[in-house]
This record gives sequence, structure tokens and C-alpha cells, in this order.
Amino acid sequence: MLFQIAWRNIWRNASRSLVVISSIIIGIWAGIFILSFSWGLYKNNINESVYRQLSHIQIHHPTFGYEKDSKFTIQNTDAILKQFQSDGRIASVSARVIATGMITSPTTASGVNIYGIHPPSEITQIALNQSIKKGTYFESGKDNAILIGEKLAKKLKIKLKSKVVLTFTNVNTDIVSAAFRVGGIYRSKNSSLDEVNVYVPQNHLRELLELKPSESNEIAILIKDELQLEAIKNDCKTLVSNAKIEDWKELSPELSLIIESFNLYTYIISGLILLALTFGIINTMLMSVLERIRELGMLMAIGLNKRKIFIMIMLETMYLTVLGCPIGLLFGWLTVSVLGKIGINISMFSEGLASYGFSSMIYPELDQEKYIIIVTMCLVTAILSAIYPAYKALQLNPSEAIRKI
Amino acid sequence: MAKTIIDAHNVSKTFNPKTVPVHAVQNVHLHIEEGEFIALVGPSGSGKSTLLNMMGGLDEPTAGTVFIDGVEITKLSENKLIDFRLHNIGFVFQSFNLIPVLTAKENVGFVLQLQHMSKKEREKRVLNLLKEVGLEDKINSKPGELSGGQQQRVAVARALASKPKIILADEPTANLDSKAAANLLDIMAKLNKEEKITFLFSTHDQRVIKKARRVITLVDGKIDSDVEQSPT
Ligand SMILES: Nc1ncnc2c1ncn2[C@@H]1O[C@H](COP(=O)(O)OP(=O)(O)OP(=O)(O)O)[C@@H](O)[C@H]1O
Ligand SMILES: [Mg+2]
Repeated sequence: MLFQIAWRNIWRNASRSLVVISSIIIGIWAGIFILSFSWGLYKNNINESVYRQLSHIQIHHPTFGYEKDSKFTIQNTDAILKQFQSDGRIASVSARVIATGMITSPTTASGVNIYGIHPPSEITQIALNQSIKKGTYFESGKDNAILIGEKLAKKLKIKLKSKVVLTFTNVNTDIVSAAFRVGGIYRSKNSSLDEVNVYVPQNHLRELLELKPSESNEIAILIKDELQLEAIKNDCKTLVSNAKIEDWKELSPELSLIIESFNLYTYIISGLILLALTFGIINTMLMSVLERIRELGMLMAIGLNKRKIFIMIMLETMYLTVLGCPIGLLFGWLTVSVLGKIGINISMFSEGLASYGFSSMIYPELDQEKYIIIVTMCLVTAILSAIYPAYKALQLNPSEAIRKI
Repeated sequence: MAKTIIDAHNVSKTFNPKTVPVHAVQNVHLHIEEGEFIALVGPSGSGKSTLLNMMGGLDEPTAGTVFIDGVEITKLSENKLIDFRLHNIGFVFQSFNLIPVLTAKENVGFVLQLQHMSKKEREKRVLNLLKEVGLEDKINSKPGELSGGQQQRVAVARALASKPKIILADEPTANLDSKAAANLLDIMAKLNKEEKITFLFSTHDQRVIKKARRVITLVDGKIDSDVEQSPT
């Protein structure tokens, strides 16, 4: 009976109840959209990093580390590459020779990371050829071709075909200088890296560094299915002895921090939205309780005890949330599903975002875990916002309430 | 000798005792027996509502004791009192008697449901009650679809439903035209006569007062006169 009365009560002022329900729907829908959009942005960033820069797994000499000292190498990389290439779970693999040094133009100089690459490998590995803005991707076949970022070119005030000099120390700690000619200028989605990464043919750099023919500093692996990451990492350990094997999360702690912090972000966003909704709901329900003081007094007079009054008001509030939440969730889920497929073009803002590593198409996405968080928080809201108005109704004194008749 | 329903001793009620004390009811003794049909009259502000509320356990006397059917209600806790009202007292107020979202039938059935009466029994009793107040054709109407007099009749049926010891009615006819008022009083008088239902109602209306068999007059919170009369 209380269920029925409560249900009918919320439709006494249908427009008011609908306003509350719609605000819940819109709030939750907006919350889901914001979260899925942000996650889409993050995902974009992560993919950008993994497929354009980090790869899933990187293998280095244990002490190669941050300073990128060229003398810490992995031996026999040709054989290792061959092994990986025959593994069906691996999408692409490449070996790199790396040095840090200076690039000098006629006007100025800048610190750079010099990557000695095998050009065809990096097409599948980081799609480097797609970033070429001017010139070609090592089509000249010349040993002294160098690929530099647009930003660096601007800084050095050089153009295509300009001559630059790279200076670095070789493995015997001798300082080496070599002249290169700009064969291509690239622009990636991560403009901060464009300023420091330059690419040259691998064999030439290896010679300049005085490394042995099959020695490399880095092996990068792209895998087909992320779920196999751990297994493949383990296989790497047996295949390459004495090496540090790291996946993209270890390589880029910022990325894993982003992922970790996203849960917190979910709580905060949905918490804020639901808090705002809670106030709206409480306000409306208090209004509806105050309007019905006499009626509630009458109910107490004829024998409805306080527990039942409390339950009745609780139910009324909870009906509102329980109606609004699933619809909001459904709308949110539908929006995410649709936009997750067609994507949102944010090229209007992408100029700025590109420098943070974002591309201009965002595919909103939200995993189950986040939905569970949102549903839980909805339930908490439903209960919390129901308690106060019901509690207020209990404060009524029936004789005073009735006197107002 | 008839059974005592209400036995009130030296009941007083003072509002705002600390600031501006209003002695709404002072040292009232009241003895009501089963089957009585009593009008409580007196000028506005004389304490009629206050007294009725105290008799029904809606308000607590500042002093004095109230027994209803031998139970000292002035000693009951709030929740016990609500439960006591549910089983022992029927109320009819001036207005806002009914739950607006329920039909006449549901309104009357509501108290029975609170008393956990089975659905079948309930249906039967509700129909009988509504028939007694002459509303058998309005059982599925909501209060908003009923006239003031019809609403008050539903309220009487609802008050009767729980088989209370007494029905307390505070100006039940105040919002009714004279025809509807007379009709309501006739129904109450009939129930009193045929089913021995005890009624205590306050009123200003001379025609209503005439229907009572005992008239208690309050002046300034005190009983000024308490007389038996033969109703007309
Ligand atoms: N809650 C309250 N606080 C203060 N004074 C009150 C309160 N309720 C009633 N009174 C006062 O108590 C006195 C009796 O009021 P009561 O309502 O019992 O009179 P009444 O006889 O029912 O009058 P009416 O015929 O107008 O309904 C009045 O003076 C009134 O102002
Ligand atoms: Mg009164």
C-alpha cells in the first residue's frame, strides 16, 4: 500500500517530478559523456604513444637507461629480430641504434636523440613515413640523409636539403662529427618529441658509433593482442638474455598514472554531478513534504506510524532516482556506443591538443568498471537524498500539522 | 451501567507556558460512556479543538490524565499512541481528511490494511461502510472528484472502519452547506443509534447542536455547562 501511495504521490505534481527525473537523466548522461570523452582522449593519447612512439615492449641493455649511452647494447639483434618476426603474436618488430648529441645548423645548435633506424621497419613500427611533411622518407637511399622534426627545423632555421652536423661520442668515448643533409621533415602528433628526435640510416650511425654490425641499443615490439602482453614479455626474457624488458606502462609512467588516476576522476566527476542532483532532489522533496504537512498530520492521526511515514517519503524520493538513473545510464551508454563508433572530430581544438600528444578524432569509450562505479554512486545518491526529506517529515507533530487545516 | 469510554481528570493545556501562556483548556473533567452522541460547543478560541485533540491523543495535556477504555493514553509513548489511535479512535476533521491519491474505497480500506485485515474481509467491510454513508456509487472516485459533503461522509466511513471506541469529529460540518451538514449529521446519528457508535463532535452550527443528545459548552477553556437534551 505504501508503495502504491508513494508512487501516486510523485505523480500528483507530475511536472515537478518530471523536472527532477529529467535532471537526473541529464546529469547522469552528461557525466557518462564527460567521462567517456575524457577516457577517449586518454585512450587516444595512449594509442598515439604506443603506436607512434613507444610500441608495446622495448628491450634494452640493463644499464642503457635514461642517458641513452650508446655503448650499452644488445648483441646479435639480427637473429633476435628474425625470431620475433616468425612469432605469430607479434605485429611488428624493429631494432634501433641510439645516440644522444648535438645537431648544428649554420645558425644554431640543439640537443637531440639520434635514432639509427632501418627505414622499412619503422613504417610498420611507428608509421614514421606517415608523418613526413616535406621531402621523402629515406627514398634517396643515401647514407647521410636525416629526418628531422618540423619544430626542430624551425628552431635551427633550416630547410629541406640543408646541411647539418651531428656531434656525439662513440662507444670508445671519442667525439664524432658527421655531416647530414635533411632528406625529410616530419611532424608527429607529439610536437615536444619532434624537437628532439632525429632519424638517420641505421648502418651509417652504427659505423659512426663504432658498434659491431649486429649490435643495437633498442628492440621495439608491437603485439597483436594486448592480452598477451605478459606472456610475450616472458618469452622475451628467455630469448634475449641479460636485458631489460619493459612494456609501455613501465616505459611511460605518466600513462599508467593517467590510467590509475582515471578511476579517481570518475569518482570525482560522478560525485560532483550526483551531489548537485542530491541537492536538487532534496529541495524538491522538502517542498513536497512541506506542502503536505496537513495530510501527513492526518495520516499520523489516523494511525500511520512514523516508520511508515518515513518509508513512504523515502520511497517517493527513491522512485524519482530509480526512474531517472537507468534512463540516464541508458542514454549515456547509447551515446558512448554510437560516438565510440563514429568518433568526434575535435580538429577545431586539435592544434593545441596535438602538442600534448592527442589526435583530432576522439572515440568516447567507457569500460564496465566505470559504469559500475556510476551505478553504485547513483544508488548512494538515491538513498542519501531520500533520507533527509523523510527525516524532516518525522519532525512533524500531528496536532500542530492538523491545526493548520 | 454502560461502559466508560473516555475518562478525563483535571485536564489542562497551556500553550507557550514560558513566554505568553495561553490557557486553552483548564481543569476539565470529562466522562463519556459508550453510545453517547455529544456536541462540544463554545465560542471560537474556547478550547474545543484543543480538548478534542487531547482526548484523541493528538496533543499532550500539560496536566491531568486521560483514560480511553481504561488505557491511560497520557502515558503512552508516541509510537504506541499512534498505534492506539489506529485501533481505538476514529477522527473526522474539518477538511483534509482523505488521502488525495486514493479512491474512496482505498481511503476507507487504508486503515484496515494498517490493521492487517485480509483483502477479502476488507473489501466487504469497505463496501458496507460506504453503503452506510450512502456512497456506494462513488467507491472508485478520488477525493478531488467528490463534493465536500461526500468527502466528509467518506471520512466518517474511514473513521468507522477500524471499529473505534469513539469517533472524535472537530467541526465536521464547518465546510458544508446546511443540506450536506444535515445529511452528515443524520448519518452520524443513525450510526450512533443503530451501531452504538460513540460520537464526540465540536460545532458552531445550531442545527447540528440540536441533533446531539448531550451538549457540553466550553467557555475560556472551562466547562460552562453539560446538559442532556432530546435531539430534534
Ligand atoms: N499551538 C498553539 N499555540 C498557542 N496557542 C494556541 C495553539 N493552539 C491553540 N491555541 C490557543 O488556544 C486557545 C484555544 O484554541 P482552540 O483551537 O482549541 O479553540 P476552538 O474552540 O477550537 O476555536 P475555534 O472554534 O475557532 O476552532 C485559543 O486561544 C488559541 O489561540
Ligand atoms: Mg477549533
